[in-house]
Amino acid sequence: MAPAADEAGKSRRDNDRELVKRAQKEDKEAFEELVRRHQARVFAVAGGILRNKEDVEDIAQQVFLKAYFSLKRFDQRAAFSTWLYKITVNECWDLLRKRKVRPLLYEADLSEEQARQYGASEERAEQAQDVSERLEKRQELERLLDCLEERDRTMLVLKEVQGFSVEEIAEVLGINGNTVKVRLFRARQRITERLRRRRAAGV
Amino acid sequence: MSDRPRKLECEAFLEALEATSPEKGTEALPGVLLGLMNEPKRGHAEVCADCRAAVEAMSVTRRELARLSEAALEPRPWFTTRVMGAIRAKESEIEEKKNGVWVSVRRLAPRLVALCTLLLVLGGTWALEVRKAEEARQAEMRPVESLFESTASTPLNDDVLAVSHQEAHP
Repeated sequence: MAPAADEAGKSRRDNDRELVKRAQKEDKEAFEELVRRHQARVFAVAGGILRNKEDVEDIAQQVFLKAYFSLKRFDQRAAFSTWLYKITVNECWDLLRKRKVRPLLYEADLSEEQARQYGASEERAEQAQDVSERLEKRQELERLLDCLEERDRTMLVLKEVQGFSVEEIAEVLGINGNTVKVRLFRARQRITERLRRRRAAGV
Repeated sequence: MSDRPRKLECEAFLEALEATSPEKGTEALPGVLLGLMNEPKRGHAEVCADCRAAVEAMSVTRRELARLSEAALEPRPWFTTRVMGAIRAKESEIEEKKNGVWVSVRRLAPRLVALCTLLLVLGGTWALEVRKAEEARQAEMRPVESLFESTASTPLNDDVLAVSHQEAHP
Protein backbone atom coordinates (compact mmCIF):
# COMPACT_ATOMS: atom_id res chain seq x y z
CA MET A 1 0.00 0.00 0.00
CA ALA A 2 1.25 3.52 -0.77
CA PRO A 3 2.48 5.57 2.22
CA ALA A 4 -0.19 8.24 1.63
CA ALA A 5 -2.96 5.66 1.60
CA ASP A 6 -1.42 4.10 4.68
CA GLU A 7 -1.45 7.46 6.43
CA ALA A 8 -5.05 8.08 5.39
CA GLY A 9 -6.07 4.67 6.68
CA LYS A 10 -4.37 5.30 10.03
CA SER A 11 -5.99 8.69 10.44
CA ARG A 12 -9.36 7.16 9.58
CA ARG A 13 -8.89 4.46 12.20
CA ASP A 14 -7.94 7.11 14.78
CA ASN A 15 -11.06 9.09 13.93
CA ASP A 16 -13.12 5.93 14.21
CA ARG A 17 -11.59 5.28 17.62
CA GLU A 18 -12.58 8.74 18.81
CA LEU A 19 -16.10 8.37 17.43
CA VAL A 20 -16.47 4.95 19.04
CA LYS A 21 -15.42 6.38 22.42
CA ARG A 22 -18.06 9.10 22.09
CA ALA A 23 -20.69 6.65 20.91
CA GLN A 24 -19.92 4.42 23.87
CA LYS A 25 -20.99 7.35 26.04
CA GLU A 26 -24.32 7.31 24.19
CA ASP A 27 -23.46 10.14 21.82
CA LYS A 28 -25.86 9.37 18.98
CA GLU A 29 -24.34 11.86 16.58
CA ALA A 30 -21.01 10.07 16.84
CA PHE A 31 -22.67 6.77 16.04
CA GLU A 32 -24.54 8.35 13.14
CA GLU A 33 -21.19 9.46 11.73
CA LEU A 34 -19.87 5.91 12.09
CA VAL A 35 -22.90 4.62 10.18
CA ARG A 36 -22.30 7.17 7.42
CA ARG A 37 -18.65 6.18 7.16
CA HIS A 38 -19.11 2.44 7.04
CA GLN A 39 -22.50 1.88 5.45
CA ALA A 40 -21.19 1.57 1.88
CA ARG A 41 -18.75 -1.18 2.78
CA VAL A 42 -21.24 -3.01 4.97
CA PHE A 43 -23.63 -2.95 2.00
CA ALA A 44 -20.90 -4.19 -0.31
CA VAL A 45 -19.87 -7.05 1.97
CA ALA A 46 -23.47 -8.10 2.61
CA GLY A 47 -24.24 -7.68 -1.11
CA GLY A 48 -21.43 -10.08 -1.98
CA ILE A 49 -22.74 -12.75 0.36
CA LEU A 50 -26.48 -12.24 -0.13
CA ARG A 51 -28.23 -11.58 -3.41
CA ASN A 52 -31.41 -9.73 -2.62
CA LYS A 53 -31.31 -5.97 -2.22
CA GLU A 54 -34.04 -5.89 0.41
CA ASP A 55 -32.14 -8.48 2.40
CA VAL A 56 -28.97 -6.45 2.13
CA GLU A 57 -30.61 -3.30 3.42
CA ASP A 58 -32.32 -5.16 6.28
CA ILE A 59 -29.12 -6.94 7.21
CA ALA A 60 -27.14 -3.69 7.09
CA GLN A 61 -29.66 -2.09 9.45
CA GLN A 62 -29.51 -5.13 11.72
CA VAL A 63 -25.71 -4.92 11.73
CA PHE A 64 -25.71 -1.29 12.85
CA LEU A 65 -28.38 -1.96 15.48
CA LYS A 66 -26.37 -4.84 16.86
CA ALA A 67 -23.21 -2.72 16.78
CA TYR A 68 -24.93 0.12 18.65
CA PHE A 69 -26.27 -2.07 21.42
CA SER A 70 -23.00 -4.05 21.79
CA LEU A 71 -20.74 -1.03 21.50
CA LYS A 72 -20.14 -0.81 25.24
CA ARG A 73 -18.62 -4.27 25.16
CA PHE A 74 -16.33 -3.41 22.23
CA ASP A 75 -12.86 -2.86 23.71
CA GLN A 76 -11.24 -1.40 20.55
CA ARG A 77 -8.51 -4.04 20.46
CA ALA A 78 -9.48 -4.64 16.83
CA ALA A 79 -10.37 -1.87 14.39
CA PHE A 80 -14.02 -0.82 14.50
CA SER A 81 -14.37 -1.66 10.79
CA THR A 82 -13.10 -5.21 11.31
CA TRP A 83 -15.51 -5.70 14.20
CA LEU A 84 -18.35 -4.32 12.08
CA TYR A 85 -17.57 -6.61 9.11
CA LYS A 86 -17.43 -9.54 11.48
CA ILE A 87 -20.97 -8.74 12.60
CA THR A 88 -21.98 -8.30 8.95
CA VAL A 89 -20.64 -11.69 7.89
CA ASN A 90 -22.26 -13.42 10.87
CA GLU A 91 -25.61 -11.76 10.25
CA CYS A 92 -25.50 -12.79 6.58
CA TRP A 93 -24.65 -16.38 7.45
CA ASP A 94 -27.42 -16.46 10.04
CA LEU A 95 -29.91 -15.34 7.44
CA LEU A 96 -28.68 -17.89 4.91
CA ARG A 97 -28.84 -20.61 7.54
CA LYS A 98 -32.41 -19.62 8.38
CA ARG A 99 -33.41 -19.64 4.75
CA LYS A 100 -31.33 -22.64 3.72
CA VAL A 101 -32.09 -21.69 0.13
CA ARG A 102 -29.99 -19.23 -1.76
CA PRO A 103 -31.92 -16.47 -3.45
CA LEU A 104 -30.54 -16.20 -6.93
CA LEU A 105 -31.23 -12.61 -7.90
CA TYR A 106 -30.49 -9.13 -6.80
CA GLU A 107 -33.65 -7.14 -6.50
CA ALA A 108 -31.70 -4.30 -8.12
CA ASP A 109 -31.65 -6.32 -11.33
CA LEU A 110 -35.44 -6.23 -11.44
CA SER A 111 -37.59 -9.32 -11.60
CA GLU A 112 -38.49 -10.86 -14.90
CA GLU A 113 -42.03 -9.59 -14.49
CA GLN A 114 -40.68 -6.08 -14.04
CA ALA A 115 -38.46 -6.57 -17.05
CA ARG A 116 -41.49 -7.61 -19.11
CA GLN A 117 -43.22 -4.40 -18.14
CA TYR A 118 -40.71 -2.53 -20.22
CA GLY A 119 -42.13 -4.06 -23.38
CA ALA A 120 -44.45 -1.13 -24.13
CA SER A 121 -42.15 0.96 -26.28
CA GLU A 122 -39.18 0.14 -28.45
CA GLU A 123 -36.88 1.95 -26.08
CA ARG A 124 -38.27 0.02 -23.17
CA ALA A 125 -37.94 -3.22 -25.09
CA GLU A 126 -34.24 -2.51 -25.46
CA GLN A 127 -34.00 -1.81 -21.75
CA ALA A 128 -35.80 -5.08 -21.02
CA GLN A 129 -33.32 -6.95 -23.16
CA ASP A 130 -30.51 -5.25 -21.30
CA VAL A 131 -32.06 -6.17 -17.98
CA SER A 132 -32.58 -9.79 -18.95
CA GLU A 133 -29.00 -10.01 -20.21
CA ARG A 134 -27.76 -8.74 -16.88
CA LEU A 135 -30.09 -11.12 -15.14
CA GLU A 136 -28.76 -14.00 -17.20
CA LYS A 137 -25.15 -13.04 -16.45
CA ARG A 138 -25.84 -12.77 -12.75
CA GLN A 139 -27.54 -16.15 -12.68
CA GLU A 140 -24.56 -17.59 -14.51
CA LEU A 141 -22.25 -16.16 -11.87
CA GLU A 142 -24.43 -17.48 -9.07
CA ARG A 143 -24.41 -20.95 -10.63
CA LEU A 144 -20.65 -20.72 -10.83
CA LEU A 145 -20.32 -19.68 -7.19
CA ASP A 146 -22.70 -22.41 -6.11
CA CYS A 147 -19.81 -24.86 -6.16
CA LEU A 148 -18.34 -23.08 -3.15
CA GLU A 149 -19.12 -23.40 0.51
CA GLU A 150 -20.62 -20.28 2.07
CA ARG A 151 -17.40 -19.61 3.99
CA ASP A 152 -15.24 -19.85 0.86
CA ARG A 153 -17.56 -17.62 -1.09
CA THR A 154 -17.39 -15.03 1.68
CA MET A 155 -13.60 -15.19 1.66
CA LEU A 156 -13.48 -14.68 -2.10
CA VAL A 157 -15.90 -11.77 -1.94
CA LEU A 158 -13.93 -10.12 0.85
CA LYS A 159 -10.63 -10.67 -0.93
CA GLU A 160 -11.41 -10.16 -4.60
CA VAL A 161 -14.34 -7.76 -4.48
CA GLN A 162 -13.69 -5.80 -1.30
CA GLY A 163 -9.91 -5.92 -1.40
CA PHE A 164 -9.45 -7.19 2.17
CA SER A 165 -6.01 -8.54 3.03
CA VAL A 166 -5.57 -12.14 4.11
CA GLU A 167 -4.94 -10.93 7.69
CA GLU A 168 -8.16 -8.90 7.71
CA ILE A 169 -10.16 -11.86 6.43
CA ALA A 170 -8.60 -14.08 9.07
CA GLU A 171 -9.64 -11.61 11.75
CA VAL A 172 -13.16 -11.13 10.42
CA LEU A 173 -13.79 -14.87 10.11
CA GLY A 174 -11.85 -15.77 13.24
CA ILE A 175 -9.57 -18.27 11.52
CA ASN A 176 -5.87 -18.71 10.82
CA GLY A 177 -4.25 -16.72 7.99
CA ASN A 178 -2.78 -19.84 6.42
CA THR A 179 -6.20 -21.48 6.37
CA VAL A 180 -7.51 -18.42 4.53
CA LYS A 181 -4.73 -18.68 1.92
CA VAL A 182 -5.26 -22.39 1.38
CA ARG A 183 -9.04 -22.07 1.12
CA LEU A 184 -8.80 -19.11 -1.27
CA PHE A 185 -6.38 -21.07 -3.45
CA ARG A 186 -8.71 -24.09 -3.55
CA ALA A 187 -11.79 -21.97 -4.15
CA ARG A 188 -10.17 -20.32 -7.16
CA GLN A 189 -9.13 -23.67 -8.52
CA ARG A 190 -12.67 -24.96 -8.11
CA ILE A 191 -14.11 -22.00 -10.00
CA THR A 192 -11.58 -22.35 -12.80
CA GLU A 193 -12.25 -26.06 -13.05
CA ARG A 194 -15.99 -25.52 -13.17
CA LEU A 195 -15.66 -22.88 -15.88
CA ARG A 196 -13.40 -25.17 -17.89
CA ARG A 197 -15.94 -27.98 -17.68
CA ARG A 198 -18.79 -25.71 -18.64
CA ARG A 199 -16.88 -24.43 -21.63
CA ALA A 200 -16.01 -27.96 -22.65
CA ALA A 201 -19.71 -28.86 -22.42
CA GLY A 202 -20.53 -25.79 -24.51
CA VAL A 203 -22.60 -24.11 -21.78
CA MET B 1 16.71 -27.47 -9.42
CA SER B 2 16.09 -29.51 -6.26
CA ASP B 3 12.58 -29.75 -4.82
CA ARG B 4 13.16 -27.75 -1.63
CA PRO B 5 14.28 -24.38 -3.14
CA ARG B 6 11.63 -24.78 -5.85
CA LYS B 7 8.96 -25.22 -3.18
CA LEU B 8 10.19 -22.12 -1.38
CA GLU B 9 10.07 -20.16 -4.63
CA CYS B 10 6.52 -21.36 -5.21
CA GLU B 11 5.51 -20.27 -1.71
CA ALA B 12 7.06 -16.83 -2.22
CA PHE B 13 5.39 -16.54 -5.61
CA LEU B 14 1.94 -17.45 -4.26
CA GLU B 15 2.44 -15.05 -1.36
CA ALA B 16 3.20 -12.23 -3.79
CA LEU B 17 0.27 -13.23 -6.00
CA GLU B 18 -2.08 -13.14 -3.03
CA ALA B 19 -0.83 -9.68 -2.13
CA THR B 20 -1.76 -8.20 -5.53
CA SER B 21 -4.67 -5.84 -5.26
CA PRO B 22 -7.90 -6.53 -7.14
CA GLU B 23 -8.72 -2.81 -7.32
CA LYS B 24 -8.35 -2.32 -11.06
CA GLY B 25 -10.18 -4.40 -13.63
CA THR B 26 -7.11 -4.80 -15.84
CA GLU B 27 -5.29 -6.62 -13.05
CA ALA B 28 -7.52 -9.59 -13.74
CA LEU B 29 -5.43 -10.40 -16.82
CA PRO B 30 -2.69 -12.98 -16.18
CA GLY B 31 -0.08 -10.83 -17.96
CA VAL B 32 -0.91 -7.82 -15.81
CA LEU B 33 -0.86 -9.90 -12.66
CA LEU B 34 2.60 -11.19 -13.56
CA GLY B 35 3.67 -7.66 -14.42
CA LEU B 36 3.04 -6.66 -10.81
CA MET B 37 5.77 -9.03 -9.67
CA ASN B 38 9.52 -8.65 -9.72
CA GLU B 39 11.81 -10.25 -12.29
CA PRO B 40 12.82 -13.39 -10.31
CA LYS B 41 9.17 -14.20 -9.65
CA ARG B 42 8.25 -13.73 -13.28
CA GLY B 43 11.15 -16.00 -14.16
CA HIS B 44 9.83 -18.59 -11.72
CA ALA B 45 6.38 -18.46 -13.32
CA GLU B 46 7.93 -19.21 -16.70
CA VAL B 47 9.31 -22.50 -15.47
CA CYS B 48 6.61 -23.47 -12.95
CA ALA B 49 3.37 -24.74 -14.42
CA ASP B 50 1.61 -24.87 -11.01
CA CYS B 51 2.28 -21.19 -10.35
CA ARG B 52 1.13 -20.27 -13.85
CA ALA B 53 -2.06 -22.21 -13.14
CA ALA B 54 -2.46 -20.24 -9.90
CA VAL B 55 -2.14 -16.96 -11.83
CA GLU B 56 -4.69 -18.20 -14.34
CA ALA B 57 -7.09 -19.23 -11.54
CA MET B 58 -6.74 -15.87 -9.85
CA SER B 59 -7.33 -13.94 -13.06
CA VAL B 60 -10.40 -16.04 -13.93
CA THR B 61 -11.86 -15.61 -10.44
CA ARG B 62 -11.28 -11.86 -10.43
CA ARG B 63 -12.80 -11.48 -13.87
CA GLU B 64 -15.91 -13.40 -12.81
CA LEU B 65 -16.27 -11.70 -9.45
CA ALA B 66 -15.86 -8.28 -11.02
CA ARG B 67 -19.53 -8.65 -11.98
CA LEU B 68 -20.39 -8.63 -8.32
CA SER B 69 -18.53 -5.40 -7.68
CA GLU B 70 -20.09 -3.82 -10.79
CA ALA B 71 -23.47 -4.45 -9.21
CA ALA B 72 -22.44 -3.39 -5.71
CA LEU B 73 -25.44 -2.05 -3.90
CA GLU B 74 -25.35 1.53 -2.77
CA PRO B 75 -27.09 2.49 0.45
CA ARG B 76 -30.04 4.76 -0.19
CA PRO B 77 -29.69 8.36 1.00
CA TRP B 78 -32.06 7.89 3.92
CA PHE B 79 -30.40 4.74 5.18
CA THR B 80 -28.62 6.50 8.10
CA THR B 81 -31.90 8.11 9.16
CA ARG B 82 -33.58 4.71 8.99
CA VAL B 83 -30.89 3.15 11.19
CA MET B 84 -31.04 5.94 13.78
CA GLY B 85 -34.83 5.71 13.80
CA ALA B 86 -34.64 1.97 14.39
CA ILE B 87 -32.18 2.55 17.25
CA ARG B 88 -34.52 5.06 18.90
CA ALA B 89 -37.48 2.71 18.46
CA LYS B 90 -35.54 -0.16 20.00
CA GLU B 91 -34.42 2.02 22.89
CA SER B 92 -37.94 3.12 23.71
CA GLU B 93 -39.09 -0.50 23.42
CA ILE B 94 -36.45 -1.50 25.98
CA GLU B 95 -37.42 1.44 28.21
CA GLU B 96 -41.09 0.50 27.94
CA LYS B 97 -40.30 -3.07 28.88
CA LYS B 98 -38.34 -1.91 31.93
CA ASN B 99 -41.13 0.45 32.96
CA GLY B 100 -43.69 -2.23 32.23
CA VAL B 101 -42.08 -4.57 34.73
CA TRP B 102 -41.95 -1.84 37.39
CA VAL B 103 -45.57 -0.80 36.79
CA SER B 104 -46.72 -4.41 37.08
CA VAL B 105 -44.86 -4.81 40.36
CA ARG B 106 -46.48 -1.65 41.76
CA ARG B 107 -49.94 -2.68 40.61
CA LEU B 108 -49.59 -6.12 42.11
CA ALA B 109 -48.06 -4.90 45.39
CA PRO B 110 -51.30 -4.89 47.54
CA ARG B 111 -52.20 -8.34 46.27
CA LEU B 112 -48.68 -9.54 47.02
CA VAL B 113 -48.88 -8.14 50.56
CA ALA B 114 -52.28 -9.80 51.12
CA LEU B 115 -50.96 -13.08 49.78
CA CYS B 116 -47.89 -12.90 52.01
CA THR B 117 -50.05 -12.16 55.09
CA LEU B 118 -52.33 -15.06 54.29
CA LEU B 119 -49.36 -17.35 53.84
CA LEU B 120 -47.91 -16.14 57.15
CA VAL B 121 -51.18 -16.79 59.03
CA LEU B 122 -51.66 -20.20 57.47
CA GLY B 123 -48.03 -21.10 58.06
CA GLY B 124 -48.21 -19.95 61.71
CA THR B 125 -51.41 -21.88 62.38
CA TRP B 126 -50.00 -24.98 60.81
CA ALA B 127 -46.80 -24.70 62.90
CA LEU B 128 -48.86 -24.29 66.09
CA GLU B 129 -50.99 -27.31 65.26
CA VAL B 130 -47.95 -29.40 64.57
CA ARG B 131 -46.47 -28.41 67.96
CA LYS B 132 -49.68 -29.23 69.82
CA ALA B 133 -49.94 -32.59 68.11
CA GLU B 134 -46.34 -33.33 69.05
CA GLU B 135 -46.95 -32.45 72.69
CA ALA B 136 -50.03 -34.66 72.80
CA ARG B 137 -48.13 -37.53 71.31
CA GLN B 138 -45.37 -37.17 73.89
CA ALA B 139 -47.93 -37.04 76.70
CA GLU B 140 -49.47 -40.26 75.47
CA MET B 141 -46.14 -41.97 75.43
CA ARG B 142 -45.34 -41.05 79.15
CA PRO B 143 -45.61 -44.25 81.41
CA VAL B 144 -48.85 -44.48 83.47
CA GLU B 145 -48.49 -45.00 87.29
CA SER B 146 -49.56 -48.47 88.43
CA LEU B 147 -51.25 -49.33 91.72
CA PHE B 148 -49.16 -52.49 92.07
CA GLU B 149 -45.79 -51.00 91.46
CA SER B 150 -43.96 -49.23 94.28
CA THR B 151 -43.24 -45.68 93.55
CA ALA B 152 -39.86 -44.27 94.24
CA SER B 153 -39.61 -42.74 97.67
CA THR B 154 -39.33 -39.01 97.62
CA PRO B 155 -38.75 -36.68 100.55
CA LEU B 156 -42.29 -35.40 100.11
CA ASN B 157 -43.74 -38.92 100.50
CA ASP B 158 -41.68 -39.52 103.66
CA ASP B 159 -43.02 -36.34 105.24
CA VAL B 160 -46.56 -37.40 104.53
CA LEU B 161 -45.85 -40.84 106.11
CA ALA B 162 -44.24 -39.29 109.24
CA VAL B 163 -47.23 -37.07 109.86
CA SER B 164 -49.61 -39.96 109.48
CA HIS B 165 -47.69 -42.09 112.04
CA GLN B 166 -47.84 -39.38 114.72
CA GLU B 167 -51.49 -38.93 114.12
CA ALA B 168 -52.05 -42.68 114.46
CA HIS B 169 -50.06 -42.96 117.72
CA PRO B 170 -50.42 -39.75 119.70
